[in-house]
Amino acid sequence: MSGADWLSYSLQDFVMFGPQVFLRLFVRINQDLWPWQVLAVVAAIGIPVLLFRQGRNARCFAVGLMVVAWVASGYGFLVGYFGPINWPAAWFGWAFVAQGGLLATAMLFGGVHGGALSSGRFVAPWLIVVCGLPWLAVAESGQWQALALFGIAPGTTAAAGALIVAVITGPWRWLYLPLLVLWSLFSAAMFWVLQTSWLLVTPVATLLLVGAGFWLSPRPARSLD
Amino acid sequence: MAGWFSRRQFLINAGLAGLALKSPSLFANTSGTPSLSPIMRQIPGANESIPAIGMGTWITFNVGGDEQLVAQRTRVLKTFFDLGGTVVDGSPMYGTAADVIGEALDSLDAHDRIFAATKIWTGDESETRQEAARSGRRWGLDQFDLLQVHNLLGWQGHLETLKQMKANGEVRYIGITTSHGRRHREFAQIMEREPLDFVQLTYNVLDREVENRLLPLAQERGIGVIVNRPFQGGSLFRRFQSEPLPGWAGEAGISNWAEFFLKFIISHPAVTCAIPATSKVEHMKENMGALYGALPDADQRQRMADYVRSL
Repeated sequence: MSGADWLSYSLQDFVMFGPQVFLRLFVRINQDLWPWQVLAVVAAIGIPVLLFRQGRNARCFAVGLMVVAWVASGYGFLVGYFGPINWPAAWFGWAFVAQGGLLATAMLFGGVHGGALSSGRFVAPWLIVVCGLPWLAVAESGQWQALALFGIAPGTTAAAGALIVAVITGPWRWLYLPLLVLWSLFSAAMFWVLQTSWLLVTPVATLLLVGAGFWLSPRPARSLD
Repeated sequence: MAGWFSRRQFLINAGLAGLALKSPSLFANTSGTPSLSPIMRQIPGANESIPAIGMGTWITFNVGGDEQLVAQRTRVLKTFFDLGGTVVDGSPMYGTAADVIGEALDSLDAHDRIFAATKIWTGDESETRQEAARSGRRWGLDQFDLLQVHNLLGWQGHLETLKQMKANGEVRYIGITTSHGRRHREFAQIMEREPLDFVQLTYNVLDREVENRLLPLAQERGIGVIVNRPFQGGSLFRRFQSEPLPGWAGEAGISNWAEFFLKFIISHPAVTCAIPATSKVEHMKENMGALYGALPDADQRQRMADYVRSL
């Protein structure tokens, strides 16, 4: 097809499913996983607790939980549930898995610093993300079973993952950024077409939290490493 | 194929007879003429007619492995068949829609009630047969009634193979598709020189460019016309549904906006079939209402277009 042909397509032409089908994905994965969501909730609460405990092992364990969240939401939700109705979602799913791999590699090769973080400034937005964003899918669908939990739903996971920028050091964080930006743009465009306006909050929050992650990261002079 | 068609016709008529007993309002005669028979259109150059309202599956049947929604879409397809529909159109581009159609056909045991149309959608022009076979497996069919080159993608190679397949009896009809008014000049050139049975294009009460060239050309060349996006992707309802129907709508055999939009399309003499898509049983019933009753004449069609423009 020529460039002019591509320009004649609208964004809507690339979204091959309706909002009902998309929101049902959250309901279905929650029904299929029940009661293992409890582990996701424990991880969501446990990560900030571990990040602020003394010692490198605790911080590595927190980052390790974030790795699992990237992989689980990417492979579980995006590849397993969303991919069959929307092929770009499967690609993003594998990118989420790779993001988890990248974070694990950074952790193993010194890409996660042990510097002090401002606990209040980190924990407040973290809790807003993991406790607040999941309810947007509920508001949109009218079904509480559509709760978009951290570690299961990719949007909530990416938003929380954006804050983890605060513990990643220089070059690693630049490798960590592209997926956050691309996923936010992709999901925002999709929610715009589906007219699921509540869900638009998640990608916008993700982009803001990337900035917050940079802002929260300790300056080199203040680093304990 | 004559026996096959007779069986299909029997099933349609049996379904209609049963339905007429239960839903007399569906067949309410607004025009003073008998209206129990569905509006059928002959396929140009063939001794076969198809109902003038079919069903598209873009977006609506792409529900993945959601069993609840697959069951709901099966009810939509059942309603379509019960109300006399046969033409179902899909494409490998539509995600899991082909699998859902296949599952629904299995559930309804309706493989012999369908006029199955799908598309070849691959840039690899040597993959025509393989793609058709893959689609056949997904729909649960040995062969399709109609295979079309999707949006002219790799049309030269695909069309050559489709012509061979038709000659070998691997498919009954062949065609090409476009949508959203794309590549109409090239589309017309292909219509002028290739032996097509069908073309599929976008036409509705607002998108009427095809009236100038493609629809007259189809009539001249004896090519059947399938119309996609009859509701402009649903936007016609969003724009006009809150408005009243014109007072003279009843005279044109129209009792709701779905019938208004669809009867405008199928009353064009070049049009063989329109393929609205829906995910709701109620909307399917409204769509299939356009398969019955009077059709607007040329003057009424003009008034319909003028009325919509005036809103």
